[in-house]
Amino acid sequence: MTATTMKSTVKAAGAGAAPGEKQPRVQNTGKRIGTVAVRLGAIATFTLILVYFALFAPGFLSSFNFINVVEQSAILGVLAFGMAAVIIGGGSNVTEGGIDLSIAANMGLCAAVFATMLQAGYPDTVAVLAGIACGVAVGALNAVAVVGLGILPLLATLAVMNIAAGAELTLTQNTVVGATSPLLAFLVSGSFLGISTLAWCLILFSLVILVFIHKTAFGLRLYAVGGHPEAARAAGISVPLHVSFTYLFSGLCAAIAGILAVSRLSASTPGSGEMLLSVLAAALLGTVFSRRLVPTIGGTLLSVLFIGFLANGFQLLNVSSYWVNGVQGALILLVVAVTSFARGPEASR
Amino acid sequence: MSVSQDTRATGAQKIGSFIASYSVVITFLAICLFFAMASPTFLTGANLYNVLVNNVVMLAIVALGLTIVISSGGIDLSVGVSVDMASMVFVMLLAAGYGGVFGVTVGLLAAVAVGVLNAILITRLKISPFLATLGVLFIGQSTQQLATSGGQPIYLITGYAGAQFNAIARTSLLGVPMPVLVLVACIVVVYLLLHRSVFGRGVQAMGAQPGVAWYSGLRVPRQLSLVYIGCALLCGITGILLSATVKSYVPLSGNAFLLDAIGATFIGTTLSAERRPTVIGTLLGVLLLAVVKNGLLLIGWNFYWQQVGIGVLVFLVLAVSFGLRRARQ
Repeated sequence: MTATTMKSTVKAAGAGAAPGEKQPRVQNTGKRIGTVAVRLGAIATFTLILVYFALFAPGFLSSFNFINVVEQSAILGVLAFGMAAVIIGGGSNVTEGGIDLSIAANMGLCAAVFATMLQAGYPDTVAVLAGIACGVAVGALNAVAVVGLGILPLLATLAVMNIAAGAELTLTQNTVVGATSPLLAFLVSGSFLGISTLAWCLILFSLVILVFIHKTAFGLRLYAVGGHPEAARAAGISVPLHVSFTYLFSGLCAAIAGILAVSRLSASTPGSGEMLLSVLAAALLGTVFSRRLVPTIGGTLLSVLFIGFLANGFQLLNVSSYWVNGVQGALILLVVAVTSFARGPEASR
Repeated sequence: MSVSQDTRATGAQKIGSFIASYSVVITFLAICLFFAMASPTFLTGANLYNVLVNNVVMLAIVALGLTIVISSGGIDLSVGVSVDMASMVFVMLLAAGYGGVFGVTVGLLAAVAVGVLNAILITRLKISPFLATLGVLFIGQSTQQLATSGGQPIYLITGYAGAQFNAIARTSLLGVPMPVLVLVACIVVVYLLLHRSVFGRGVQAMGAQPGVAWYSGLRVPRQLSLVYIGCALLCGITGILLSATVKSYVPLSGNAFLLDAIGATFIGTTLSAERRPTVIGTLLGVLLLAVVKNGLLLIGWNFYWQQVGIGVLVFLVLAVSFGLRRARQ
């Protein structure tokens, strides 16, 4: 039902998204300068770290390494887009806002379904469809719980996470399910213009999502729903429809990420739930790149790539990988702390 | 839900609101009844004792800490780090030959340090609790991996350390095992603090109406700091009990508590009409999770199916409670 509505809204959408508001903003000037400083500061921090790697990590700047990082970031990136969409549509309140804790477990389940289907001898198309159906079904379960039953997203997706993780374990008996198929071979070893298919997947997927979220009326309404549900409702936007869509979309992202994960390892492996925190970090870290400090697709992509480059740089510098998590955490704190300082005291809670 | 509607409430509506409020209690009793009939061992003293000591105590103490934090309107994703830090420092000190009391004290201080870090990030640097504690979680994981060369567990089964562990986990007073006594003490203290004290009023006010709490002259930063430090301390106690029970320190093991504790606390919120966390509700949530885990094991469900079972059950409890409440509006 969402698909048809979505299509019609996309068709109806104008090219530009921002409404032409021209109110005086004298009072906000100081704050706006602060926000700009934060965004520049965050970007400067990221750039500084990359420059450091470029100077001191051997091979960091090579195009091969660059593509390698993009390729490695594909799975995290696709998941982070799903999470970002949910946060955009549900608002970023800590306990009541939109969040999808089930996304990583859902990816594991989709990967398991996909790999099991391939192993059972089904062709690529059937297996892909089964994986996507599985991801969207889990997303639909989230949507029913959050929108239909009114359960807090944090709580509903937590329960669904358990269900998905358990289903994956039951299906695979906690083992590695190997899989080979023409599609997987193409994803792993195919390349176009010297860029591998996996990297292309991330690039194309981000472009599609970028246009969809930031250049269509539907995307704008999604922000309205997340930013102020009552106002959105008063303006005639169907809040339940838009919020449901975000959960279905994050289910779809989980399925796509699951297929990519199977292709990377030629198998579905247990333990995908561990990605959840990185996904959250990427989606939330992305907010510092936006003018209004909300999740954006571009910002999410930048932070995903940054996390990828961080791990890669440490590897090239021969620093123990145990540092990566800690540095990632410290950077999140640094960036967010600076951000909240610039937001001013009244926005601190 | 205006007053006129309330006075016209029909019998069906009353039953609906009763079920919405007490769905956890009803489910809990139904599940206990089911397992009692399905498995002859479920209601035996040995099994209930096992559930209490192995499944309830530690999760309950962590969940109590989260109850305080969630009452204040925040969240603490770093509970596992506090648990692990206390456990790690305690076990490492014992391995180095220090005394048990010293080890426990420094271990608890290590957990408190995590709480202080959270408090500084949230109250001084104004980072949202979700992100602040997420960052601390990442840093805590790195710290443990670096301190244990990548996550090597430390086992201290016998000898001096083993005796120290036994003194904590295996002794009992008047037939009640020490961990249970610790839990009871924690419940009483947290209940009094959260529901019967000026401090608790402040915490509830911050959670319900942060702006009003601020303008009423509440010292929000100081109160919030105490909230996060208190939560970390409770997690530290769990860490000590954990390492004494399993006689070892396994890196990153505390994280297992996080999602269960969040689940238990929020399941508990269905007890209150305003969906506020309460100590009683949280304990019920913990009992529900523990009994389901144990019962499914007893009736021979495979470990993997248990997780599905718990997820479905929690989902249903939430669906009934939230769904009925929504239907009334």
